[in-house]
Amino acid sequence: MTVHDDTRFDSIAVLALGALPPAESRELLQHIAECERCRKEYDEMRGAVDALALSAELTPSEFGGAQCERLRGRVMDAVRASVATSAVQPAGNVVDLAAKRRAAPAWFNYAAAAAIVLFASFAGWEALTLRSENGANQRQIALLQAQLEAQTREANGARAQLELESSRLADMIAPGAARYAVQNGVVVRSGGRILIALRHLPALPKGRTYQAWTLRRGAKTVTPSITFTPDAGGLALVELPERAGDVAAVAVSVEPEGGSKQPTSKPNFVRSLG
Amino acid sequence: MVDADRLMARVRERDVTAFEAVYDSSHRLVYGIAFKMLGDQAAAEDLAQAVFLKIWTSPEAFGGGNFGAWIARVTRNRALDMLRSRAARPESEIADDVPLAGSLDETVFARLDGERVRSALATLPAEQRTPIELGFFGGLTHDEIARQSDLPLGTVKTRIRAGLKKLRVALEGSPV
Repeated sequence: MTVHDDTRFDSIAVLALGALPPAESRELLQHIAECERCRKEYDEMRGAVDALALSAELTPSEFGGAQCERLRGRVMDAVRASVATSAVQPAGNVVDLAAKRRAAPAWFNYAAAAAIVLFASFAGWEALTLRSENGANQRQIALLQAQLEAQTREANGARAQLELESSRLADMIAPGAARYAVQNGVVVRSGGRILIALRHLPALPKGRTYQAWTLRRGAKTVTPSITFTPDAGGLALVELPERAGDVAAVAVSVEPEGGSKQPTSKPNFVRSLG
Repeated sequence: MVDADRLMARVRERDVTAFEAVYDSSHRLVYGIAFKMLGDQAAAEDLAQAVFLKIWTSPEAFGGGNFGAWIARVTRNRALDMLRSRAARPESEIADDVPLAGSLDETVFARLDGERVRSALATLPAEQRTPIELGFFGGLTHDEIARQSDLPLGTVKTRIRAGLKKLRVALEGSPV
């Protein structure tokens, strides 16, 4: 049992704000678990912090019009696409990229859901078991809670990545998406995004990378976009950072690691998005 | 946030209309947090889309309580993930599933909106408001805030606490 000390109150406010480094957070959370006065202080600070987020809420005049409608369209298209995807069984035995795209959201969602369920079950079991111990184990509980929180943060990072991939895949199969066939894949313009899905990409030697290029509307020369590496199976799903409405054509070439300012090799493909 | 518990129960049953109602009641909060933290329109839209798809695919993650506070926390944590991926920031988030016990009284929270909180925040002196906003929306740690503000660490911590206390009092006393 650590002794209460009012000087911790300032750090507790910083902890509630989410601005305390991890090591200090763990130590302080351990103390808070044992100290009623500090727990009360922490709860009060947390109340203010929860409300703080509301200050970022925009008014209809600040966030409305075309941008607001575009975002709503993206989200609802993705939701409706997920409903349609889960309602329709894939037919036939033709294996193509579109089929892979339809299967991928489910895979991602199942994997994410399974990971979350397993983790939540583990966390819940740990907490339940330890809380049944007597007071002498409180210190260990606090330590385990801190460890679980650290694991949760790691899981959140992985989950955010999965969610991003899922949202890209959802955009690719959205009803309003425009698809442009390219060698070994497809370029998709959907919801303001440009996505490229390629398969059977050869692994590149060390020091080389794939790089995307975009031709802005009205421009005469291409602009470098992102570099990317396919997975072990030669599959790549990438989202270009450029806004779809600004881009007239897309290309991919093999470039030195880190990317080039101008293409240095013959492009794998050049595709107009007209 | 109108009857969020009931709407989320319908979302769990895959009711798209209920999801639309949830979206319509919270998209300005979600996008607003994302934009304030990321400072980039396209990234904020991507983040908002990811948050709402998360709600659609895992509605059970909302365990009840104040929906606005919960979705704000989810959004902030996802934005912190993105900020960290940009700049290798240390982790300093509040877990999504931390109970809201100790939050402002539910009735007080229910009548809060962006305008009221902004008004309350405006009553804080800049020396308190700035470190709070840097920590919350900027994702900075107290060390980073101290360096950026060129202030001793202890001063930054004291100002954050004083500001949060004052903010809480201002919110509890805000007019209906």
